[in-house]
Amino acid sequence: MLAQGLELLIDGLARGVILSLFGLGITLVFGLGEILNLLLGVFAVVAVIASSMILGSVPGLVFAALIAVALVALFAFVLDRTVISLVYREEGEDRILLGIFVTLGLSLLFEGLLFIYYPGGRFLESGVGSVSLGPLGITGSSIAVIATAAVLFAGIYYFFNNTYLGIGTRTVIQDETGAVLCGINPRKVQSIVFVLSAAIVGAAGVLYALDAEVTPASSFELTTFAIMVSIVGGVDSISGTVAAGIILGIIMTIAGALFGSYLATVTLFATAIAVLIYKPEQIS
Amino acid sequence: MNGNSLQSTVRDQLPVILVFAALLVIPPLFFDPSTTYLSRRFITVMVFAIFAMALNIIFGETDQLILFMGGIAAVGTYTTVLTAEYLAVSPWLTLLVGAFIAGVFGGLVCYVAARRQFTVIVLAIVTFAFQMIIMEVIIGLRDITGGSTGIPFRALDVEFVESLTGVGPFAIQFYVLVAVFAVVFFLYTWLTNSKYGLAFAAIRQDEFAARATGIDVIRLKVFAGFISTFIIGFVAPFYAKTTGIIIPGLFSFQGVDVLVLIILVLGGLRSRFGPLVGAAIVIYLDNLLSQFGQWRTVTFGLLLTILFIYFQDGILPSATELWEERGIREKLPGLRSGE
Repeated sequence: MLAQGLELLIDGLARGVILSLFGLGITLVFGLGEILNLLLGVFAVVAVIASSMILGSVPGLVFAALIAVALVALFAFVLDRTVISLVYREEGEDRILLGIFVTLGLSLLFEGLLFIYYPGGRFLESGVGSVSLGPLGITGSSIAVIATAAVLFAGIYYFFNNTYLGIGTRTVIQDETGAVLCGINPRKVQSIVFVLSAAIVGAAGVLYALDAEVTPASSFELTTFAIMVSIVGGVDSISGTVAAGIILGIIMTIAGALFGSYLATVTLFATAIAVLIYKPEQIS
Repeated sequence: MNGNSLQSTVRDQLPVILVFAALLVIPPLFFDPSTTYLSRRFITVMVFAIFAMALNIIFGETDQLILFMGGIAAVGTYTTVLTAEYLAVSPWLTLLVGAFIAGVFGGLVCYVAARRQFTVIVLAIVTFAFQMIIMEVIIGLRDITGGSTGIPFRALDVEFVESLTGVGPFAIQFYVLVAVFAVVFFLYTWLTNSKYGLAFAAIRQDEFAARATGIDVIRLKVFAGFISTFIIGFVAPFYAKTTGIIIPGLFSFQGVDVLVLIILVLGGLRSRFGPLVGAAIVIYLDNLLSQFGQWRTVTFGLLLTILFIYFQDGILPSATELWEERGIREKLPGLRSGE
C-alpha cells in the first residue's frame, strides 16, 4: 500500500516536472511580453517528430533530442522575427487580443501541416531500465524524466540568477520602463526569451514522449495544459509555475489512479478556474 | 412631407428588406428535395450567422471574450434533448429549457467575471477551461449522454406544416432559422440604438468612467452574457439536427469557437450584416475545402492569422468605407464646378 503510494508519487513527480516545463513556456513569454502563446504545443510536437526522425543517424536519444531542440529554437526564432514581431507592435489590451488570435491561427496552421506530412503517433524510448528498490518499482522513463528535468531546472535557475541576460529578463518582467532606463532593450529580450521558451518546451515534449504517444493533435492539448499550469502558478512567477506544475502533476496522477483519467483532466481545469476566480490578478 | 419621410425610411431600410427577401427565396431556388446536401449547408450558414450575432453582442458590444460557445451550444442541445426524452415530449417544448439553462450558465459566468473584475484574457481562459470541462464531462458521462457514440436526433420537424403548405422539412428548418435570425437582428438593432447601446459603448471605452457616471456595469455585462448564451443555447439543437446525431465532437473548440470567431471578424465586429456575410463565406470555404482533409485546418489557421493582423475591421465595414469614399470622390468635380 505504502509502496504503491510512493510509486504513484514518483510517477506524479515525473508528470509534474514535465507540466512545470510546459508552464514555463507560457509564463516566460506572457510574463515578459503579454503574449499568450497558443502555438506552444506545436514546438513540443515538432521536437518529438524531429527527434524520432534523427534518431536513426545519431548515436543516441540525447544527441537526437539536442539537435531537435536546436531546430525548434531556430523555428521559433524565424517566427519571432516575422509574425510575432507584428504582434509586439501593438500595445496593452490590443496586443493581448492580437496575441491570442494570431498564435491560435498559427497553431491551427502548423497542426494542420503536421497532420498532412507527419501523421500518426510517436513514442521515444529512454533506454533507461526500471529500477527496483525493495518493494518499489520505478519505471525507467520516470527516472530519465526527473533526472533530465532536474538538470534543466538547474540551468534555468542559473540563467535567471547569474547571467546578465537572465537578470535583464526578470527586470523586464517586473517593469518594462525601468528596464529601458537601465539600458535593456525589451524587444531583444523578448526575442531571446521566446526562443528559450520554445527550446524548453521542445525538451519537455521529448520527455513527455517517453511515457505517452505524441500525435499532431497533442499540440493543442499540451498548450492547454501549459496555460492551466501557468495560471495556477501565477504568470509572472517562474518559481510559482514550477511549483504549480509539480503539485498539479501529483494531484492529476492520484486523481487519475483513483477516479479515472477523465476526472484527472477535469481536476486540472477546475483548479485553474478556482484559482482565477479567487485571484484574477494571477494573469493580467 | 410624409411621403418624403416614408420614402427616406424605405431607402434607409432597403438593405434590410433586400437581405430578408433574398433569404426567403433561397429555399425555392436552391433546396432540391432529391439531395439534402445543399440545404444542410444553407441551414449551417444560418446557424453560424446566429452564433456570430450572439458573439457580437457579448464580445463586440461589451468586450467580454468568451471561448466556450461550443460548450454553451452543447449545454443547450443536451438539456433540450435529454429533458424532452425524460418527459417524453417533443423537443420543441424543451427548446426554451435548454436555452434558459445555457443562458443562466453564461450569465453566471459573466456575473462572477464582472464581480471579480476579470480582464479580457482572464475571462477568455476561464471560459476556455469550462469548454474543456464540458467536453470531458459529456464524454465521461456516457450513461446519460451516450458518450462519443452520441444520441441519434431527428426531431424538430413539423409534419403538419409540411403537409399544410407542401414545403419540405429542410425549407421549414431554414425558415425557422431565418425567423430566429430576424428576431436577433432586430433585437440587436434595437439594443444598439437604445440607451443600452450607449451604455455598452461607454463600458467599451472606459469601464471605470462608465461606472462613475452611474452605469450599472455588472448588470449590463450579465445582461449581454445572458442574452448571447441564451441565443446560442436556443439555436444549438438546430445545429445538431444538421448531422442527425448529437456527438461531443460537434461542439469542440475548433469546430464552433474558432469558426464563429473567424466569421465575426471577417464580417466585421459590431456590424449588423457582418455575421451573415461572414458565415456565408466561411461555410462556403469550409465546404470547398472539406475534400482536402487537413488543408482545411491549414487554410482556416492562415485566414485567422492574416485576418487579425491586417483586416481587423472586417471586410464588410472596409468595403462600405471604400464605397463611400468613392462616392465622395465622384461628387467632388461636381462640387468644384459650383453646383
